[in-house]
Amino acid sequence: MKTIFFILSLTAVALQAQAPKAPATKAPQRPAVIRTDALVKVNATIQQYNPYLPWQKQSPGGRRGLGVVMPGQRVLVTAQMAADATYLELEMPDTEAKIPAKVVGIDYEANLALLAGAADEKRVTAFFAGLKPLEVETNVAKGDNLNIWQSDRVGDLIVTPLRVSKIMTSAYVVEGSNYLVYECQGILRSEGNSFTLPLVKGGKLVGLLLRYDQKNQVTTVLPGMIIEHFLKDVADGNVEGFPSLGAQFQSTMDDQFRDYLGLKPEQGGMYVSAVVKGNTADKMGMKEGDIVLSMNGFEIDSRGDYLDPQYGRLNMSHIVRGRAYVGDSLEVKVLRDGKEETLKGKLIRKLPQDNLVWPYLFDRGPNYLVHGGLVFQELSKPYLEGFRENQNADVSRLSYLAEHPEAMEEQGRKKLVFLSMVLPTPSAQGYTNLGGNVINKINGKPILQLADAVEAFKSPKDGVHTIELNDFPRFLYLDAAQSDKDNAAMRAGAFRIGKLSRIE
Amino acid sequence: MISLIFRFLLDFFELCPSLLPIMNLSRSLLFSGALVATSLTLNLHSQEAAPAPAPRPPRLNGTADAIDLASGAWDNVINIEVSVLFPDYREPWNAGQPSGGSGTGFLIAPNRFMTNAHVVSNATRVMIRTTNDPEPHPAKIVFIAHDCDLAIIEAVNPEHFAKLKPLAIGGVPKLNTEVNVLGYPIGGDRISVTRGVVSRIDFRPYSHTSVDSHLAIQVDAAINPGNSGGPVLQDGKVVGVAFQGYSGRVAQNVGYMIPTPVIKRFLKDVEDGSYDYYVDLSVDDFPIENPAQVKALKLEEPGVGVMIGDVSISGSVSDVLKPGDVLLSLGGNPVYNNGLIRVDGDLVDMNEVVERKFAGDKVALEFIRDGKKQKAEVTLKRFAPYVKLGATYDERPRYLMYAGLLFQPLDRNLMDAHRITDRTVVHVFDNYLNSKFYVDIPEPVVLTTILPDEATTYLQSTFPGLVEEINGVKIKRLADVAEALKKDGDKPGFIVVKLLDKGRPIILKRSLADEAHPRIMQNYNIQEAAFIGQELK
Repeated sequence: MKTIFFILSLTAVALQAQAPKAPATKAPQRPAVIRTDALVKVNATIQQYNPYLPWQKQSPGGRRGLGVVMPGQRVLVTAQMAADATYLELEMPDTEAKIPAKVVGIDYEANLALLAGAADEKRVTAFFAGLKPLEVETNVAKGDNLNIWQSDRVGDLIVTPLRVSKIMTSAYVVEGSNYLVYECQGILRSEGNSFTLPLVKGGKLVGLLLRYDQKNQVTTVLPGMIIEHFLKDVADGNVEGFPSLGAQFQSTMDDQFRDYLGLKPEQGGMYVSAVVKGNTADKMGMKEGDIVLSMNGFEIDSRGDYLDPQYGRLNMSHIVRGRAYVGDSLEVKVLRDGKEETLKGKLIRKLPQDNLVWPYLFDRGPNYLVHGGLVFQELSKPYLEGFRENQNADVSRLSYLAEHPEAMEEQGRKKLVFLSMVLPTPSAQGYTNLGGNVINKINGKPILQLADAVEAFKSPKDGVHTIELNDFPRFLYLDAAQSDKDNAAMRAGAFRIGKLSRIE
Repeated sequence: MISLIFRFLLDFFELCPSLLPIMNLSRSLLFSGALVATSLTLNLHSQEAAPAPAPRPPRLNGTADAIDLASGAWDNVINIEVSVLFPDYREPWNAGQPSGGSGTGFLIAPNRFMTNAHVVSNATRVMIRTTNDPEPHPAKIVFIAHDCDLAIIEAVNPEHFAKLKPLAIGGVPKLNTEVNVLGYPIGGDRISVTRGVVSRIDFRPYSHTSVDSHLAIQVDAAINPGNSGGPVLQDGKVVGVAFQGYSGRVAQNVGYMIPTPVIKRFLKDVEDGSYDYYVDLSVDDFPIENPAQVKALKLEEPGVGVMIGDVSISGSVSDVLKPGDVLLSLGGNPVYNNGLIRVDGDLVDMNEVVERKFAGDKVALEFIRDGKKQKAEVTLKRFAPYVKLGATYDERPRYLMYAGLLFQPLDRNLMDAHRITDRTVVHVFDNYLNSKFYVDIPEPVVLTTILPDEATTYLQSTFPGLVEEINGVKIKRLADVAEALKKDGDKPGFIVVKLLDKGRPIILKRSLADEAHPRIMQNYNIQEAAFIGQELK
């Protein structure tokens, strides 16, 4: 059941990002520069790890899109095309000549990846010989007409005009990642290779297709500015990603709330409702209850917007997750206890692995440990997402902890280690129905991350491992000798678990 | 004709996908019943597509057992017609939704009719009649025990029933012995008899509250909506009260009756004129099936002793047992490794020992802690916090409404009525017992709704939420809300409501709120601003 749910949820994501099944439009086309020599087809085979049986992978699936040629024999696609890829290839739209490809840099949150040929230099050079890179254009305004490029079966270019109706920040693919997008109005054709599609203006790349809402005919575009940021970031071969602030805000439009906070009628500002530990806001001394009045000189209004010199009214998040780079300085003016204060700090990025719960697991499997049939894991969002429609009390408790990690972090936990399932081994007799239990200690040692469990299992007492759970039934015992035997059987026996642990 | 009736019954049951009290209910009523009981039968859904049962072969001595209704001998099995009022937990100031239904009852003593609690729950009017007498007679509830789904009613005017002979209460029937079920189920107006055998005797959840489990007997006699509260007879004596069954989609020929130990306990409990509920050990036990458990817990005799996995705070044994102890015996009887105990020759859940006792009774325990055998005697008491997790009846919804903010105590009825999905509220409700929230917040209060008004228009995205603090006062029960609202918060003139896990406090200017309050009462037709009442017990 669990597996089925997970596969279903995957399919849903895939469908959302696929381009549309809408008829072609007969809208008049403005003359546009058409460049077929800047596009290659990208074929990806995607295979994720199974979050419930973490030692094995799920069935592979294919994704096809159009990549944009970048300088230096590189190809730009969305990260969705490249994340979890087991095989990537580039294909000439017209001749169908193919070369294998590899990922040079990938930013899962900004949803961008840069690919390069993965063949000998001669072959790669030959493949790129007739191709010319596209320039990135960040200058787009509301009302602009853009063209989206698709390639049909034989490599002919299909050009569809779209009109920019909104420039705003919006959620990308990974939970919690909000960046700048253009929203465009217009009908998109359904074509087989539409996972990543370029949008152009005057022969320059202004963005990539992020998603298409068929019902409302709204195309959401990942804009040139984010692409430019990513390309600069990846240039040194090391993707640092966008900085993050690590604070939550609430609007201050409510008059009674404003009076309570002591805000003057002409003042804007956003109420800080939470500050995440160890991120930029925390390090620069921002506190819950502060009212952020301005950031880097941009005044924040009571709705949380500022006036961007390029794009107009935008959410304040774009100041951090759009304009800035990791290491840039940030100056925040806050109202605290009725007085204005200026907080200064450097922008950092909280890495995904620095969270109590893994926010995503791309190109890697979940950390797990199988011992005597007990399967331990570090909690991840992908694990919980599989239960979206099938919540029981255990899953609901884990989901709550994932959303409110503070108490668990205060206990010194780096990761939330839990018993994800029990395989029917002799040493786990009687425990088969357990699952979803948070682990506190093993053999008396606190389990702050999964590596601790590996260590702790090395020292059983009187031939018995004692596992302390946070909830019912509180204590589990494993026979040390029998569980070692079972571990050996796990590798060779019916379950064929090649490796009993993954700690990365 | 048969197939027609069969289809009708199937349709009827499809409205209620799970274990249900089998009162014959009108449609509006059934929906709420189905909601309350859904959680109970998850493990049974996989058995949905069982074939239709083969017809029972005709009995050779059928005529000898014939029932002669004209004799009046069966007039002691009565039809109960009930008008009910479903409390409205969404608009708690309203009286609720009138509805109705019918069930069965039977005479156990002069002018004492036994039936199920769910037949007469939330009743505004109870009418009873015998199968030979079309005239309804008003009746009233004398005792009602929701935790074991039993009730006693009496006729307002006893004379009419004075000549009837009460049915005697028998013992626990043996497996595979025949029983008859009498009652007024769906499909006609007059009394109905069905026959079957005792299929299983087990500790089972009672779906009326959904959180109580007691001994229950499974029979394969047809038990259908309307049979509820009817007697199950063997050798002319009552061996059970028909009370719940499965919808045909889930399982066939599975009906349940409340057995006589539960009936007798109820009757004994009310002898003093009031019902005092079941007592509880308030522990969660975990079976010892693993040799490593035996070794680690230093058990001498394999097969005896069950591990204590969790202990409720302020429960009967909270001062004696702790998680990791191994309970060896209860009331002098050995507790086996799977938590079963032998009672009257049958292996049943160890709770059955406590089930037959009353508040204040003592029970002896033997347990092992750190390898040492210990003895204790505990005084049994009721563990009330669990009641909130189940459906409750005959309670007027409690609430406090101030300036459009509706505060209500957290319980199952509230969760169902508001269909609350707020992660924090759901988390506190789901883990109220096992995370022991009841210790610090005995009665969690939920801000369920904020009625739109000029004074609350900016607050429409802030609810629902669990109320943590009002004006600096920690909210532990509904009554605290009324007190806290009177106080001044950290800034004079402002009311500050903090919701758990919600980033921003809800701020109301007292002057504006006081002004808005009567206006909101008027506009939303709210007669009373609050009904604080008594905490659920």
